Parts: sequence; structure tokens; C-alpha cells
Amino acid sequence: MDFSLLLQRVIDGISQGSVYALIALGLVIIYRGTGHLNFAQGEMALFATYCVYQFGEWGIPVWIALFMGMGVGFVVGAVSEVTLIRPISKKSPFAVFIVTLGLFTFLNWLDGAIWGNQQLPNSGVGSKQQSFPDLFPADPEDQFNFLGASIRYERIGILLLVLVITGLLFLLFNKTKFGLAMRAVASNTESAKLAGIRTNLVLMVSWGLAAAIGAVGGVVMGGLNNSVGLGLMFSIFIYGSAAATLGGFDSPGGAVVGGLAIGLIENLSSGYAQKWIGQELKLAVALAIIVAVLLVKPSGLFGTEKVERV
Amino acid sequence: MSMLRVVGLSAGYGPVSVLQGIDLEVGEGEFVVMLGANGAGKTTTMRAISGLISRQGLVEVAGDDITKWSPDHIVRAGVAQVPQGRGTFPELSVEDNMLAGAYVRHGGHDVRDDMHKWFEVFPRLGERRHQRAGSLSGGEQQMLAIARALMSRPKLLLCDEPSLGLAPLITQELFGVLERLNRDEGLSVLLVEQNANLAMHIASRVYLLETGNIVASGTSAELSADDSIRKAYLGF
Repeated sequence: MDFSLLLQRVIDGISQGSVYALIALGLVIIYRGTGHLNFAQGEMALFATYCVYQFGEWGIPVWIALFMGMGVGFVVGAVSEVTLIRPISKKSPFAVFIVTLGLFTFLNWLDGAIWGNQQLPNSGVGSKQQSFPDLFPADPEDQFNFLGASIRYERIGILLLVLVITGLLFLLFNKTKFGLAMRAVASNTESAKLAGIRTNLVLMVSWGLAAAIGAVGGVVMGGLNNSVGLGLMFSIFIYGSAAATLGGFDSPGGAVVGGLAIGLIENLSSGYAQKWIGQELKLAVALAIIVAVLLVKPSGLFGTEKVERV
Repeated sequence: MSMLRVVGLSAGYGPVSVLQGIDLEVGEGEFVVMLGANGAGKTTTMRAISGLISRQGLVEVAGDDITKWSPDHIVRAGVAQVPQGRGTFPELSVEDNMLAGAYVRHGGHDVRDDMHKWFEVFPRLGERRHQRAGSLSGGEQQMLAIARALMSRPKLLLCDEPSLGLAPLITQELFGVLERLNRDEGLSVLLVEQNANLAMHIASRVYLLETGNIVASGTSAELSADDSIRKAYLGF
């Protein structure tokens, strides 16, 4: 067995999985607060990703553009929660499901209406940038050799970025007063109100935070793809939901582990069983493995089972 | 000045109206009990006072009209409620439950000091401080719900049927704690109960609630002296 090839695929898989982890984190944050699955998670991220492309067109450095994009994502998420999700969830929880689907199609249409339906940047045809802004050095020579595998700086950078975001989220949830409020709302909304927690504010910030984290995922994906297009987030969203399910829908740590695991499964299965699985079936393989895990552990790898003493 | 003054309070759920305009009052440092059968509107009264459901009429706390206030604002005004059933955060540790109860307060040291004080009052909570609240027994969870409410340093404590589903001995212990808090700390208490006997002993005044209306009120002695009331509501 070729060890360096294995190492290469593991690293590629993990960094690919990092993007799924970011989308899964967003899904988990919203699910914990409200019990809703936000179908628009990927499209909120895509809108912010297009904005980062646009900021790049205006000559804004990529890291500043990233933070601005996260700000845009936060606003899109928070405004959606306040104007759409909150009033409707009071009437019917099932309607929220439809509303997030509606938001999905609306945002995708909006992206198309503003930026058109071709891949961007389309240099020479209106784009000043050669490729989508990269967060990390991504030229062909930006790599180093490690045990025979050539490892790209970009891949390592993405993994570190995701770990830093996860660490910050952990601190937010467990070490801050607002994080305590978020956990309290997730656990028992009515008691949270009776403790004086402004649950509406917590939910608004949760949606904003979810979309901002998704925005990072979108920008990373754009960098890996060298472009942004209307379909960029479709499969990422499916992988991200699968990651959240695998890790446990109420566990942020689980979302990250789930995302990395799916990235690994995807890369290893399509790499080693190219003949049978290849590019087309790798998603099905990842999903089949998740179903197998859920049959053994129904709440996901790190999800809390709702067991309560009576 | 009374701690809580409720005048013509009506509330309900959507088209169903439960409270038909009730009046009640809790004086400063008073221990008031509201008795009523299942479905009389006891929980609705509590939820209406705390602002969890929309309400008409007048609700005053220490002279402030809080009728239009939001639940978090009402907590800040000094009203804490121990809701019926589980008033805890099952996935959070006992300590985090207590800290969440102090959410409206500022200043970490005071909060920690208070937490230790309540752990002395409820030693079993102190022993289980790092355990998840959901893993506690029913009685311990009820104690945690009360301790959680006290962490906001309320002037008025609303208790919604704390005895529900608990063994008589545990209920007695809980009521003992509430009585001491009222006597020693001057905490005003409005307690809602179905089970009259124990509650009557500690109450300075009692209201009887029936299908959304207050049908009788007075001191425990006055109500127990009235034969018809005693037979119909108190069962002794």
C-alpha cells in the first residue's frame, strides 16, 4: 500500500470535511435553539460568498473581505429569523420548514439576479480578479513534502481555520454569559424566559452566528474551487446536514467530527474504490455509513439522548 | 404598599379564556396560597403574572404597573417563578442552572456567594453540582428549580404546585424551606396548590380559585372555620 498516497488522501479529505463541518456547525447552532432544520443554511453562506467575491472586485484584501462577508451573513441570518422564522413558527412549526425552503430558492434567485448565472470570477469578461480570493497561499508551488506526500499550505490553513472557529465557539458556549443563555434556551425555552433571558435576542443571534460561520465555509469552498457559482453550496449542504446528523444534531463538537469524518470517507472511498464508487456514488457511500451509525446510535455520535429521570 | 396587586386579570390561550377577571394581593413579606382544583386556572394565573401569556387587567409589582412588560423585564423587577413540573434546564449542570438563574444580575462574586448559600440550604444540590440536572430525582429537580429562581434575588416568589408528583415527606421538606425563606429573609411568596392541608398551615392568607374566578378568600383560620368551604374545598 502506498503510504504517501494514503496520507495525501487523508489530508485532502480532512480539509474538504472542514467545509462540511462549518455548514454543520451552523445547522447545529440553529437546531439547538429552535429545533428547526434550516434548509437555507447553504444559500445564506452562498450569498455572503458572492459578497466576498464582490469585495475582492473592489480591491478589498481577502481577510477583511471575509470578516465583512461574515457580517453580511450575520445580518442575513438575523433578519431572516426576526422577519420570517419567528412570526411563522408561532403559528406553525411545519410552516417554518417550508419558509426555509422558500428562503433557499429566494436567495439563490437573488444571487443569480445580481451576479448572473456564470461562474465568477470570469476574468476578461468583467472580473478584475483572476480567481476567487484565496485565504491561504494557493499557487501550485505552495506546498511542502511530508513523508512523500505533497501537502498544500491551503489545506493545512483551512483545517486550522476550522479548528480556531470551533475553539472560539466552544469558549462562547461554555465560558460566556451569553453562551450560558444560548444553552439554557436550547434546553428549556420557557424556563429561560422565567430566568430573565431574552430568548428572542438569543434566537436572533443564533441565526446570525450560524449564517456567519456558513459564510466562512462558502469562502473556503470558493477558494478551493477557484470560483463561485449558483450551485456551489448544493452538495456542500447535503454533506453538511449528513455531518450534523452523524455527529448528533445538538452537538457542536459532533458537527466538526462528523464533517471531518465525511470528508475522509468521501475521499478515501472514491480514491480507493474508484472503479465501483468513483465521483458519482461517493455521496451515497457516505450516507450509507451514516445510516449504519444511526442504527447503532440513534442520536448521533455525540448527540445527547433525551433521557430524564421521572 | 403591596408586593403584588392584581386587578381584573383575564387571560387565556387563543380563543379559550381561562381567567375571568380575578383580583388578588400579596403584601410585603406575606405568604399567600391559592387553592383550586385541576383546571381552575392556577397555572394560567402564574403564567399571566410572569408575562408568559397575554393578559388584560392590571398587574402591579411594588407599585409598578407591569401589565405590558416582557417576561425578562418582569424578572428584573424582582418576580421569580418556579413553574409547574420541571423548571430546570435538564441538559445543563446543576451549577449552570444556578448561574442561568442569576442571568439578570451583574457581578460574579455575589452570584458565587449566593450559589454557595443555596447549596447550604439544599445540601444535595451542592453534592451534585457538576451533575446534569436531568439526572437528578424529582425532588432534587424541584429544589433546583426553587434555588434557580432564588438566584435572581427576587422580592416575590411565585411557586406553581411544587408538590406535584413528590413524596409527602419531600413536599414537607420543600414547604419547610419556603416557610423559612419567608420568615427569615422576608421573601413574599405566592404559592399555588391543589393539596390544601400542608399549604394552609404556612399561609397567612388563602384564595380559592374555581373555573377562573376567586370564590373565597381570607386567613387560613377564617376559611377553615367556614363549614361549607371546608367540606367543598379542603376535604377535612
